[in-house]
This record gives sequence, C-alpha cells and structure tokens, in this order.
Amino acid sequence: MGNHKNRTHLHAFHVKNGKMISFAGFEMPIWYKGIIPEHLAVRNSIGIFDVGHMGRAVITGPEAEEFLNFVTTNNVSTLEPFSAQYSTICNKRGGIKDDFVLSQQERGNFFMVYNAANRKKNYQWLTKNATRFKVEIEDLSDNISMFAVQGPRAQETLQKITTEDLGKIERFKCGWIKLAGLKTFISRTGYTGEDGYEIFIWDTPVSASEKAEKAWNAIIKAGKEFHIEPCGLGARDTLRLEAGMCLYGNDLDENTTPLEARIGFVVKFQKEEFIGKEALQKQKVEGIKKKRIGLKMLDTGIPRPKHEISKKGEKIGYVTSGTFSPLLRQGIAMAYIHPESAVTDNTLLVKIRDKHVRAEITRFPFYDPDRYGYKRK
Amino acid sequence: MVKVKDAEVPEGLIYSKDFEWVKAEGAKVRIGITDYAQKQLREIVYVELPAEGDTITQNEPYGTVESVKAVSDLVAPLSGTIEQVNTEVQDKPELLNEDPYNKGWLLVIAPSNMEEQKNLMDHPQAVEWHKGLSED
Repeated sequence: MGNHKNRTHLHAFHVKNGKMISFAGFEMPIWYKGIIPEHLAVRNSIGIFDVGHMGRAVITGPEAEEFLNFVTTNNVSTLEPFSAQYSTICNKRGGIKDDFVLSQQERGNFFMVYNAANRKKNYQWLTKNATRFKVEIEDLSDNISMFAVQGPRAQETLQKITTEDLGKIERFKCGWIKLAGLKTFISRTGYTGEDGYEIFIWDTPVSASEKAEKAWNAIIKAGKEFHIEPCGLGARDTLRLEAGMCLYGNDLDENTTPLEARIGFVVKFQKEEFIGKEALQKQKVEGIKKKRIGLKMLDTGIPRPKHEISKKGEKIGYVTSGTFSPLLRQGIAMAYIHPESAVTDNTLLVKIRDKHVRAEITRFPFYDPDRYGYKRK
Repeated sequence: MVKVKDAEVPEGLIYSKDFEWVKAEGAKVRIGITDYAQKQLREIVYVELPAEGDTITQNEPYGTVESVKAVSDLVAPLSGTIEQVNTEVQDKPELLNEDPYNKGWLLVIAPSNMEEQKNLMDHPQAVEWHKGLSED
C-alpha cells in the first residue's frame, strides 16, 4: 500500500452510483441510495457489496495445518475441506490481533479473509511466525475480487446464473462454482446475520477487473426481480451490528481477548500449543475484567463509540459500536462493562453528550431470530 | 426556486455558513437547516433541540442532528430567546430531509441583537457560496 488511496474492482461503478469515503486506505462507497434502504434490502430480500478491501491470503505447504493451529486460536484440524470457520489471531497476552474467516479448499489449501485495516499487520505476523514451519503464505488481496451477496433471496438469485445446485453448499461450507460463466470460489458466509455468500474470483487484478464487473453485473441483473440493492459500508456496519457481530478496531483490539469479547468458541484449549494460550487459560481460570454486551435504548438517543456507561452513579464501561438500527428504529450498541455490574438488573445509563439515558442489556442478535437472519423460520 | 447544483437555495431567506437558514417573521425569526445540509447528512434519524424559553447564541451549538452514521451540531445563526420549538421534527426527523425549509423548521426565536444579521449571507451571497461547496 502506497500513499495513494487503493481502489477495488468495482471502483467505476461506485464513483458513478455511490458516495465515496476513505476507509482503511481505500476509496469505498459508504452508500448508494442510503443506509436505511440498503440495510432493509438485505434484511428483507437481497443486497450486494464489493468488499475487495478485505485482506485475502492463501496458506499452503506440508505444514500449513500445524502452522495455522499454532498461529490461530480455533482448531484447524477439525476444519474439513471446503468448509470455513470463524477464528482469531491473538498476541501472547491473548489480545486479538485480528478476527477472520479461515476456509480450507482442497485439503491443505487454506484461505484466510481478514480485515482491510490489518492487511499489512497480519501478513507480517503470519510470515514472522512461519519460520519453523514448511509453509507458504501468499497475499493475494489485490489479485482476487471479493463480493458479498446477502439476504434471504441470495440463494435464489445466484441459482439463476449457475447450473450447479447451490443448495449443496450449506452455511459455513464453500466450493468452486461456475457463476455467470466464470470460475468462482463461493463461501456461504457473511457479515450481516443473513443467509448469503461471499464470492471470490481468482486471477483478477484490480487493474484488469473485467471478470469482476461481469459477475457483479450478472448478479445485479439476476437479482432485479427481488429488488437487489448495491450496498455500501454504511449498511454493512449497521447490518453486522444488528446481528451482534464484532468490528475489529471498535469491538475487538489487541487489549481485548476472545473471552472478554464473548467469542470464546473460537478458542480451543484442547490444542497443544497456540500463541496466546497461556494468557487465555489464565484468564479463563481467574475470570474476565470486562465483557462485551448488547444494549438497546429505552429512552430516545443514539449511543456512539466512547459514550460512557454507568450504573448508580458509578462508571462501569463504555460503548464500542453504536448506531440507529434501521430495522428496530431505535438506538442499539455494543459495549464493554465490568462483568459483575449487571447481575441483578439489566438497566444501565449511557451518557450521550450531557444526558444520561436509559438502556437495557440485550442478547445478540438484536432482531428476532425467528423473523430475521439466517435462522429465520 | 433557485437551485445550485443539486441543492435548493430559496429566495427570501438569509443563510449562515453553518448550513442554517433564517426567515424573518415580524420581530421574530424562524430557523432551520439548508437543503444542502440535509442532503449531506442523508437519512436524519434523530434531532435534539433546546426548550422554549432557552436562549441560543450566534455561532454556538444549540442542538444536534444525527444520521445513521454521524452526529452533527446545529449551530445558531443568531442569538435570541426560543419562542417555539418544532416538536414534530423530534418525532419525525425525516421531515428535515423531506422538507427542510417548511415542515422541517427547527426553532422560532426572538433575536436579541439585530446587528448580528450582518454576519449572515443574503440570497445572492448564499447562491455564490453554495457554488463553492463540494457535492460530496
């Protein structure tokens, strides 16, 4: 990455149709029509996102599995070919260096998709810790296009442009699928809480983006009957927040452990050795000093990052992500609080500018999982 | 209706560089945010205003508007005492997007210093000033 702003494959489309902002060194669309209509398109039907700013690396070699078991917290040995898992990389103190989705393609070919802001940091950390393993790490971020197609109509839409049965790829599974005549790798994963796919096209540099544009246009055409919307980073953020998913830099950082973030399922202590194991094990025994919670406003007001949280006049935590929920039409937030401070009742105060307004602790996702999200009935 | 690029700049109003309009109504003035401002903010979902009887001071924040993504201060175009507050926009913040110069008004104030109007832009000045604003 140089000093100039990086662009993604669909840059021309975004400039023509969207409002651009700078994010993690990239020129990205924040919205096209607006955050609310884009958000609701994904919850109710379908949306498409260009997420080419994400980091993408391929990890191969005879000891790729051993290496990944050492450097990540989840158990890579239980990850079957053509499957994906959510995981973290931690530092020695158990603090999260990044969170990401790791998939295995053919046996021994691993593919990691991580945060744009951590592209450089991750690649350096992986390389530095790989010296004692027979492994190759290749950063392909700029040579693979990446879209997300999300929403209850995602499968129906993509099925129109492939002859293969997409029903065979279940949630957190992946595979090579010919889509709109192009060889693509698709993974039934996402960052919205909805059913949907992330679509990758290999050998597609940003400077020669024809294949990416062809796929993008074919998906938009196929989704037209479902009123597909191109969606920007604004809706991506509100969707992931409603779903209770963490954003690195806001809700996760190097001073926060997976146990504190309540994503402890990505830490597998049965593994013999991994970076951060000792610190995390110690924390598991001694207990955590802060924990991530969801907050729904009881009074009017929109919680934002850094807003202080108090109870009975005592400061107990702070907001890390907050927004107006387009679906619930009220303020929602993620926050970290002292674990003991919410045992008896669930009501807290959030300091929004000069006012203390009431909020209640809520489980994730914020929406009713029977009506919205991939588990909807 | 005068339009600069995409933003409406109606005649008969005076304007501040903090994206507010001022309309003289006898001895009082009505204030609100401009079309350019609401277009920049996009979907306004929350408006916080002071109460009747409170005073506001020129160039100082008196309230807040929030879009899904961002929080912006409302900056007073004139000093004065608040005579009326538009409670409807507090219940329906989208009125600021739909009708910023009419239903989306914010306050009626009794100005305390008419001299302050010299610091505002008349319509021709506001049109020129809008020409220099970025569309992003």
